[in-house]
Amino acid sequence: MTVPSVAETPLPSLLAVTVRRGLVAGRLYLGMGTAISLLLAIVLLRTAHASTVFVTTFPLEIPMFAALGAMGGLVIFTGDRTKGVFEYLIAYGVRPRRLFADYLAVTAILSTIVLAAALTVGLVGYRLQGFSISGDLWDEILGYTIPMTYASGLFAAVAGIIWSTLSTPRAGVNSPVGLAPILGIAPPVLVLVLAESVARSSYYVVTVGASAGFLAVVGLLLAASGRLLSRERFLSPA
Amino acid sequence: MGEIGANGPGLRPSPPTLECRDLSAGYHGRRVLDRISFRVEEPAIYVVLGPNGAGKTTLFRTIAGILRPLGGSVLLDGRPYDEGASRDRFHFLSHIDGLPDGLRVEEALRFYAAVEHATQADVDRALRLLEIEPLRNRFVSELSAGQKKRTAIARLFLRDRDIYLLDEPTANLDPKAASEIRDLILRLSRERVVLYSSHNLFEAREIGRYVLAIKEGRLTLFQRIADLRTAKYVVGVRPWSGGEALADRPHQGEYALFELPGPQAVAGLLRELEAKAVQIREIREMGNPLEELFA
Repeated sequence: MTVPSVAETPLPSLLAVTVRRGLVAGRLYLGMGTAISLLLAIVLLRTAHASTVFVTTFPLEIPMFAALGAMGGLVIFTGDRTKGVFEYLIAYGVRPRRLFADYLAVTAILSTIVLAAALTVGLVGYRLQGFSISGDLWDEILGYTIPMTYASGLFAAVAGIIWSTLSTPRAGVNSPVGLAPILGIAPPVLVLVLAESVARSSYYVVTVGASAGFLAVVGLLLAASGRLLSRERFLSPA
Repeated sequence: MGEIGANGPGLRPSPPTLECRDLSAGYHGRRVLDRISFRVEEPAIYVVLGPNGAGKTTLFRTIAGILRPLGGSVLLDGRPYDEGASRDRFHFLSHIDGLPDGLRVEEALRFYAAVEHATQADVDRALRLLEIEPLRNRFVSELSAGQKKRTAIARLFLRDRDIYLLDEPTANLDPKAASEIRDLILRLSRERVVLYSSHNLFEAREIGRYVLAIKEGRLTLFQRIADLRTAKYVVGVRPWSGGEALADRPHQGEYALFELPGPQAVAGLLRELEAKAVQIREIREMGNPLEELFA
């Protein structure tokens, strides 16, 4: 019996193992992002005017901590690049674009974990306090929290990936991995500050507008990534 | 180290031919390799030598299909390299380990086994071959540099290939482990083409049959190592007794140095020393012809 040629068989998906690696390598970020978002949900539910404060603040905070919790994708990307994993995979025929897509998928999955945990705990807690979930709250969650959660995480990941491939590998907080959470957290913080300072009538314009605008920025970055992330960018220094 | 095993050499009927024809390669349009041409067809270890930055890693990456040539071509069995069909002809070992974070040793090998369509039995055999079975459940991040290197090398034995591109395979290994790996690669080279880069000139001379010297991106030499001659042929004599007769000679440690026209003059030197009542404990070549390739 002869062993089948690698060239004859399609390459298997590495997404499942990449997700597992993202969970292991990014567990600290995931733990922090999830824990802080849950803690804040509980704190908001314990405030004096919980029903109002929760509705105006809780949906705006989740994207910040989801961006932090989703750093696992970027962590393994930068690790794989500096450790030469990409060289092997490209040598075996895995296309760089597919690798890039896998790491973004990991980021989206980690974002989903934080989002799901925060929404579940927050909304169940809100209901247990005796409040009913209003249409406004659903609108905020659907129009801002969910899209902005993915946009923030993907923005931090894409920016960090491009940045790490354009620069000499560095370690520690001065590295793209060290600084990328700030990139992901900054936009929702700005929206939070802005939304809290405008009139209630403009609130949805600010939040939904920000999430749509930010998603467009992420889309542009993704479109540019094809040109920015040439095959050489995936290689460790020779 | 164990046997290479059922998945080892012997599957293909004839040795592969690898040819680089006017090959230029580099990064972001900047040339690192400049019109390199050579052809290898005899199963053997071809040592690729050159100072840091000469282009050795770039050469390996281009042959393995990781980098696309900026000019020229890589031919395999006379046909241009094809990303689809040629990728299962090469094994590439980078100078860095290429072990994914967040996985245990066995999982890391399974990760590559999945890409290579190798089986769990292949993973088990590679673990045994490199004697890293006791490490199979350790996280890669917990391993020493030498253990990581062994794990990276184990990956080479998941599937049989025709051509092995090994970039500093014994770096970070202790002398015993390095010797075992060299032995394994030597056995592999009986039926396979192995391109092997190293900064260890004694290692290169010990295992290599041919040398390719690269300097500033150009191939400056491709020759049988046995045919290399040093510009100066120097032997060192370590005397057992009668060393005072050698006091006027230049010394390197315990060795009195003699510059000779060539190996054929050693017999005459021995007669001369015998006439001076010098009893010899050891006589050996002091220079390594490969050293001059770095000059």
